[in-house]
Amino acid sequence: MLVLKTLTRGRMHGYAIAEFIEETTGDVLRVEEGALYPALHRLELRGLVAAEWGVSENNRRARFYRLTAAGRKELGQESAHWNRMTAAVARIMEA
Amino acid sequence: MPAWRTKTSLRLKALIHRRAFERDLEDEIDFHLAMRERKQQNLGLGADAARYAARQRFGNVTLLKEDTREMRTFTFFETLWQDVCFATRTLRKSPAFLAVVVLSLALGIGANSTIFSVLNTLMYRPLPYEQPDRLMNIGETEAGRPNSGEGEPPAIADAADWKKQSHVFEDIALTSFTEPTPLAGDGGAEQAHAQFVTPNFFHLMGVSPMFGRVFTASEAQDLTQTVIISSPFWKRRFNSDPRVLGKTLKISGVLSTVVGVMPPSFGSFFGDPLDLWVPIDADSTRYSERKDHWLVAIGRLKPGATQSQAQIEMNLIARRLEHAYPATNKGVGARVEPLHDALYSGAGRYLYPLMGAVVCVLLIACVNAANLLQGRTETRRTEFAVRASLGAGRRRLMRQLLVESGLLGLAGGALGIALTFAGLRIFRALAGGDFSNADGIPVDIRVLLFTLAVSFATAMLVGTAPAFQAARTDLNLALREGERRTTAGIGGRRTRHALAVSEIALAMVLLVGAGLTINSVLRLQQVNPGFDPTNVLRFELSVAEGAPYVERLPGGDIERATPLVAAFYRQLLDKVTAIPGVESAGMMTPFGFVYTFSVLGRPAPPPDKMPRTVFSEIGPAFFRTLKIPLKKGRYLSASDLPGAPWAAVVNDAFARRYFPNENPIGQRLLLRFIDLDQKQPRQIVGIVGDVKWNLPDKDPFPVVYVSYLQQGSDYRGGSIMSHLAQTLMVRSAASLGNRAAGLTAAVKKAVAEVDPDQPVTGLMTMEQSLARSMGDSQFYAYLLEIFASIALLLAAIGIYGSMSYFVTERTHEIGIRVALGAQRANILGLVTRLGLKLSLAGVAIGAALALGLTRVIARFLFGVTATDPVTFAAVGLGLLCIGLLACYIPARRATRVDPMVALRHE
Repeated sequence: MLVLKTLTRGRMHGYAIAEFIEETTGDVLRVEEGALYPALHRLELRGLVAAEWGVSENNRRARFYRLTAAGRKELGQESAHWNRMTAAVARIMEA
Repeated sequence: MPAWRTKTSLRLKALIHRRAFERDLEDEIDFHLAMRERKQQNLGLGADAARYAARQRFGNVTLLKEDTREMRTFTFFETLWQDVCFATRTLRKSPAFLAVVVLSLALGIGANSTIFSVLNTLMYRPLPYEQPDRLMNIGETEAGRPNSGEGEPPAIADAADWKKQSHVFEDIALTSFTEPTPLAGDGGAEQAHAQFVTPNFFHLMGVSPMFGRVFTASEAQDLTQTVIISSPFWKRRFNSDPRVLGKTLKISGVLSTVVGVMPPSFGSFFGDPLDLWVPIDADSTRYSERKDHWLVAIGRLKPGATQSQAQIEMNLIARRLEHAYPATNKGVGARVEPLHDALYSGAGRYLYPLMGAVVCVLLIACVNAANLLQGRTETRRTEFAVRASLGAGRRRLMRQLLVESGLLGLAGGALGIALTFAGLRIFRALAGGDFSNADGIPVDIRVLLFTLAVSFATAMLVGTAPAFQAARTDLNLALREGERRTTAGIGGRRTRHALAVSEIALAMVLLVGAGLTINSVLRLQQVNPGFDPTNVLRFELSVAEGAPYVERLPGGDIERATPLVAAFYRQLLDKVTAIPGVESAGMMTPFGFVYTFSVLGRPAPPPDKMPRTVFSEIGPAFFRTLKIPLKKGRYLSASDLPGAPWAAVVNDAFARRYFPNENPIGQRLLLRFIDLDQKQPRQIVGIVGDVKWNLPDKDPFPVVYVSYLQQGSDYRGGSIMSHLAQTLMVRSAASLGNRAAGLTAAVKKAVAEVDPDQPVTGLMTMEQSLARSMGDSQFYAYLLEIFASIALLLAAIGIYGSMSYFVTERTHEIGIRVALGAQRANILGLVTRLGLKLSLAGVAIGAALALGLTRVIARFLFGVTATDPVTFAAVGLGLLCIGLLACYIPARRATRVDPMVALRHE
């Protein structure tokens, strides 16, 4: 879900996704960066993201991922679910 | 695009552009690492430190690549193929291991599918008739024992009554099994195989003739009749002549017209040769005595009717018959069972113990393979640890091992199938006449699949335990070699020992079985048959049970022999005796009818307590020809002619049983068959030794021998056969050897000179004939010997494997012992003690199992009980010796351990 959400910002390569997640979460969710790639490929296989080769900002060949329509739909469902969950948890914590 | 299509198309793309995919994945990860590295450098790290940090943050590159690859390609099959290639290579590197495992699996599987094929064919194939599950065999139970034994062939008249009274059966037919029947006609004389059936038989079985017709209800006359011929007979005797209908054959002297030819698919019950079907009339007055029990009754249930309904109805009918005919039917019940069971349950009694034996062999083979695989896995512990530490997943390691054992299983299965073909040939050769349709046993495709499945499953089963162990390997422990040598799995060792023990135990069971049957055969061979079978040829003859030899008296079952019968045999004996090189020629009827008799001058006992004896018509030279010893009095001689007072010679058993305290010689007997007394009493003139004819394992029965020349003309209830059929025995003056063929031709010529229509059959030497009577036990002994030797071999391999692994594993320890001054004998003792312990445990468990299991083969034993202590002890000792022998080689190796080498090994 994090990856999908990140990709709503547009086309990105793997390194940029990793950087973005790290920066925005402030290193709270720090995992092996390599684990991102099997995840990306899995999303691609499920048709949620599409990949294409392009040229990076520093002129290297890089693989760019972007969200597909199916990915957007999936993200919508997942974030709705997530919101419901967190809201419920929050209510319990506040009670 | 649905997800699975995206998936498959991406996968296929990856498969086709394999290199491109690998390069892309590489590039992507490289790009990431490069970016990270640059960032770290920007943060002030040195080049090397930056690269290290980037890698560390990224994680295990190889494993991640692997994961991705697995996701995007058909890795499963690719790595499976790799595993197969790798397994083939490793297996090829240890050919001895490969050979032993494959061979033991193949032997086990081959033996199993052979016996399974036989069972499948004989026991489980549906009968080749229309709706065979509606066909029932209806038998009669023994008088007064309604619930015991099997259904016996009913009296013909009883079956005729069943048919009239039953509502559950659509129809009931009667049939004989195949009976040898003399046949004459245009194609020459021969002994044909005939089945006597009621006219409704074909309709009941649901078969129609290829051409012509089946019998009509009225077709069973005494003097002329119709006959239906089988397809093979039609080809052989009539050259497939389509105009065969209407031709005539002389069957048992009765002129018979061919009215139909049956299709090739319809033959005898057991697949033995069958030439003719001859109609009989179950309602004939001949059978009104209710004493002819030579036909079996087959009923077809009405649609929807069940066996138990039929049984209930038959009980009722049997009770009615009891009231109507108390003399014959008192206490006689009826039993309904599926025809298939009736035909084949006998064969099952032979085959199920064999099935047990081969399952035992397969078990041993599996245990053996498991044992070897286990040992192999343990010696490869370090290899697995190295591979695991280089990044091999546990699943992958396990799969590797399972692939290896799967390959072994398939190889074993393939070889096993080859052995099945050979095994069936051996079975056929050994079974001979015992299973007459053994010829028709095909190697069934289902049996082959079953075999392959069994072998594969076996291998997988056997391979699982080592695979789990390998997967559980503790890397650190395994990599530190020193640890491995002493701690290599106490559990593993125990498993292996248990496996070796169970192998020995199973082998013990089989060996005891084989030992008991071999013992029986030896004892059977030692039994003195009571005569000298060497240099004697035998021939079977039977004059036709019809004109010109027999007249049937109307109204009743009395048959009258014409003087031509005695004349025929008299001429024949004269001619055969005159053949040069013949020392003497005797004959004896193969039909031993049981007669009752009374001793003249003694009070007659009540009819149901009359003494009984076998009645045997012989040619006077019989005793001399077979060299049967004379105990007292005289033999029958050429002077015992029709005009002289009738004489009889009795055997020892007769004298012992009926004249225990007096001299039988001079006593006069009046013999009677059913209720027909013989024309004259006979005086006992001699006592001869007992002869053990067909059943050397049974006590001899009392016999009265009388001359074929001193006979009345009338016989009751089929007993005329003892007058019509004779076994001719010819003693050669010189050693038989290669003169047998010439002698046989001369005898056949003599027969043809007397009556050209007379067939001669059953030609063999007396020794062959005697051997044949041991057929069952011999056959059993052969098969069990084969299985037991396989088992023994496998068990020896098992012990050897266990012990040699024990020695390898302990090389280090033995080295220390030797270095500390242990003697050769101590080391030898160390190894053999373990071997002995394992063997002893196996033998003890095996003996206990065998005690319970050998009972099933008790029926094939002679002179030994199923728990014969001598056999048990001998087999146990033998097995112990083999066990010790199998540890000898590893033990020797242990004594040669060089302490320096062993210690440096670390």
